[in-house]
Amino acid sequence: MIKNRRLSSSRWWNNQKKWFLFIVFILVVFLRLSKSLIVRDIYYFISKPFWPGEFQREILRKSNKKEFNIKIDQLEYDNLRLRKLLSLQRSSKSDSISASVISRNTGSWWKKVILNKGKRSGIEVGDAVVGPGGLLGIVEDISTFTASTRLLTSTESKVGAWVQRSNIHGILSGVGNDGPKLIFYEKDIDIKAGDYVLSSPASTLLPPNLPIGIIESVDKNSKPFTTATVQLTADPQAIDWVQILKLKI
Amino acid sequence: MLRFLFRNCSIFTFLGIPILAVWNPRLFSIMDIQPNWPIFWLLPWSIINGPINGSLTGLFLGIILDILNNDFYTQIPGFIICGFWFGKVGFKNKKQMINYQYGLLASIGCFICGIIYFVQILLNHLLEEKNFFLFNYGLKIISTQIFLTGLLAPVFCYWLFVLFKYKKRLNF
Repeated sequence: MIKNRRLSSSRWWNNQKKWFLFIVFILVVFLRLSKSLIVRDIYYFISKPFWPGEFQREILRKSNKKEFNIKIDQLEYDNLRLRKLLSLQRSSKSDSISASVISRNTGSWWKKVILNKGKRSGIEVGDAVVGPGGLLGIVEDISTFTASTRLLTSTESKVGAWVQRSNIHGILSGVGNDGPKLIFYEKDIDIKAGDYVLSSPASTLLPPNLPIGIIESVDKNSKPFTTATVQLTADPQAIDWVQILKLKI
Repeated sequence: MLRFLFRNCSIFTFLGIPILAVWNPRLFSIMDIQPNWPIFWLLPWSIINGPINGSLTGLFLGIILDILNNDFYTQIPGFIICGFWFGKVGFKNKKQMINYQYGLLASIGCFICGIIYFVQILLNHLLEEKNFFLFNYGLKIISTQIFLTGLLAPVFCYWLFVLFKYKKRLNF
């Protein structure tokens, strides 16, 4: 008996019995009046990770990704085959060589980077150098172990480029600073800031459709041709690793 | 060993120029523009050895740097003029220079080399539509190089001057 009393006095709900009953009553009334809406909301958050819909969405996303990758591979294959038929420049992922930048000269007269792969790794003069973001430049000269790359910002750099949205071709010419000029040999053209600039599919120097940059501003008053300043997407000052794309004709 | 190093100090320091030209240490650069490294070596050398020796060394330096940079333009005329002029100044001042005179001479030398190089670029692009844009680029590089070279010359040139002078005096 004494033991039972002790036990009952040790339970907090026995000590605060009135308050406990009152709170339970309020809770029941609240649930009744709210028609268990709050319970459903709580259930919503608890059960969220286990929903079949979410899981299925993830499966669908993965499947879609796989499908897109297969489609891209198929399109690349078709593109290469057709370019081969037309005897145009082509390159593929398997033709690329990774290299690291061992010397950087981006500010002075010579806009160049030196890479740690050369003739021994199969690099040739004229190969395109691509970094995270897009095209960086073209291999200018090679030694046994190194390759010197002329950057797109160099005053001597000239590559064929096109604006994909309006299908207009031009020449991307370096002017020494970080924004090379894209020179169009037409006057009235549909070009605006924000358009993407890619390497020209008609170019004999570069693989087609490599991302180069974004048009920053257009100067339609420049004479005799319209020019545009291009913001390069690949920053040579920050890039340490590059890919050298081998060309095949 | 130390004697050997001291005897050939001019050769060892000379070898440092192409290494610095390729390395481009970021520590000494502003906006990724480097000081004109060959001027730091050419100035004390020409002051001690005279105008003829200076201009010949300038020619040699120019050839080496042209080979390194493999560009369409040449740096040889700039270095020959600088070598000759530095030698004349050295003879006039009886090889006694104040520290900040190195800065001034190096800045003027850098200006001469920069202008000669830039004129070549402009002439090459004379008939091109982008010629106008090049002015901005050239002025930026020349002015930054003049500032950096003038700033660092009192330190580097003084060290090299003392080294070459004592080497000659001790007749190693």
